[in-house]
Amino acid sequence: MKKFFALQVCALVLVSGSLGTMFAFTPVYDEVRSGIVLVLCLSCLKLEPKTIADFTFETANNAPHPEFVLENLSHGPVFLHYSGDACAGCDVMYPVIQELFSIEFGKQDMFHSLVSFENSTVAYIYVNIHHTTDVLRNAQRIYDKDYIFGIPMFTIVTLGYDNGKVKPKYTTLYGTLTTYGATTDEQRLVFLQQLVGESIEMYEQNEAGYPHH
Amino acid sequence: MKLQLKRLVSQIILFFSANLGYPGYPGLKTGFCYPFFYCQACPAATSACPLRSLEQSVDKGSFTWRLFLYPLLIIGFLGIVTGRAVCGWACPIGLLQRVTGRVARKVKKFPLARKLGTHKIEKYLRYTKYVILISLVFVTSYLIGFIFTDICPVGFLTGTIPVLILNPGKFVPNFFFSFALVIFILFIALIFLVERGWCRYFCPVGALLAPFNKISFLHISVDLKDCVHCNVCSYECPMGIDVPNMNRDPECILCGKCVSACPNELISFERR
Repeated sequence: MKKFFALQVCALVLVSGSLGTMFAFTPVYDEVRSGIVLVLCLSCLKLEPKTIADFTFETANNAPHPEFVLENLSHGPVFLHYSGDACAGCDVMYPVIQELFSIEFGKQDMFHSLVSFENSTVAYIYVNIHHTTDVLRNAQRIYDKDYIFGIPMFTIVTLGYDNGKVKPKYTTLYGTLTTYGATTDEQRLVFLQQLVGESIEMYEQNEAGYPHH
Repeated sequence: MKLQLKRLVSQIILFFSANLGYPGYPGLKTGFCYPFFYCQACPAATSACPLRSLEQSVDKGSFTWRLFLYPLLIIGFLGIVTGRAVCGWACPIGLLQRVTGRVARKVKKFPLARKLGTHKIEKYLRYTKYVILISLVFVTSYLIGFIFTDICPVGFLTGTIPVLILNPGKFVPNFFFSFALVIFILFIALIFLVERGWCRYFCPVGALLAPFNKISFLHISVDLKDCVHCNVCSYECPMGIDVPNMNRDPECILCGKCVSACPNELISFERR
């Protein structure tokens, strides 16, 4: 009986000690909060948001555009790709994006590249929310125009003309693009090609008036 | 206060504490994992489902030890202290099954249901939850990326349905929706037909907690010396356990129904 009690106490000390150590010395609490609790995996939800892929000047909660986006915007439109681990929707979109920009990178990498798209430059930024920095992760909220805060999410930031000023203008897409009528990889690719093409057109029309240029 | 009333109060309080995350009401989103089955996709969820963290830790051949150990240690800590009492006293799905269990108890009176419930295969069916835990949470996530949470009926109930109700017309079903809907319907049928059917046969979180019953401080003890084997306790047990012959049974959720039911007060909670 005493041996069994000793075993129970040892097990409790071992488990509570390990848990306490994890809280104290690892970022696991923040990882779970920012990577699981705060962000919706749309494929786990079994739903896709019904949104419109229109460009807008207003960021979510009117937050300012992040500095890294403004810097990249001087090269061309910025394509932000938000993804995550254990996300079936992200897995569907991953090869489509690779084909769209003819690039290769690992799913858990932090990847940023100036890519050529139909003879123009696009700044492509891949963000796996489970393997990234706070700055990149927090930018997802800024461009979450429909307040979904889920993955996969795609944002294209370009330039637009508004009340006598050239400003960043963006659109955000969610999920596997089913709600935009793209149900196959080919349709997804064509849809994104058109949207990126549209953003380049807007960029070229307005880049002369952009103060960062 | 009567034991079963105390348990109901505990279940209701923990149900509300699991749902403090709705924006503004009060919007508490923590980095803890629930020690029971509840989905972080619920608009009001306070914490993460332990299975989601486990799946993410072994996603497609990768291994993130922190996300792997964290939910296991949280479950392990509570498991060592209280055993599977979490299922009986805290889990919101347990609370739901407490309600549906009344119907299941009536179904149990039919001869066919009784025959199925006492069939020798029934005890082997209980291993299904361990198979689900290993195959759908770990193996498929590691090898092919298919994850349990894509078809999870509890996620459908606590995540998908509330999101659809709170955002009418804002979402459309994705590829997994129809599969999850079928599994959800089967889940509902199961909990109405078999008392605690989900906990008995399929709950992967229950499978994580169950082994801790063997070493937990809190457990149920039967004084066999004076037991007259009237079997009232076994009849009352929602998990269908042969109570007088159980010894730290992994299936016991420490609900205490047998404690309340024993006419000779020979069953009690033990703290060591």
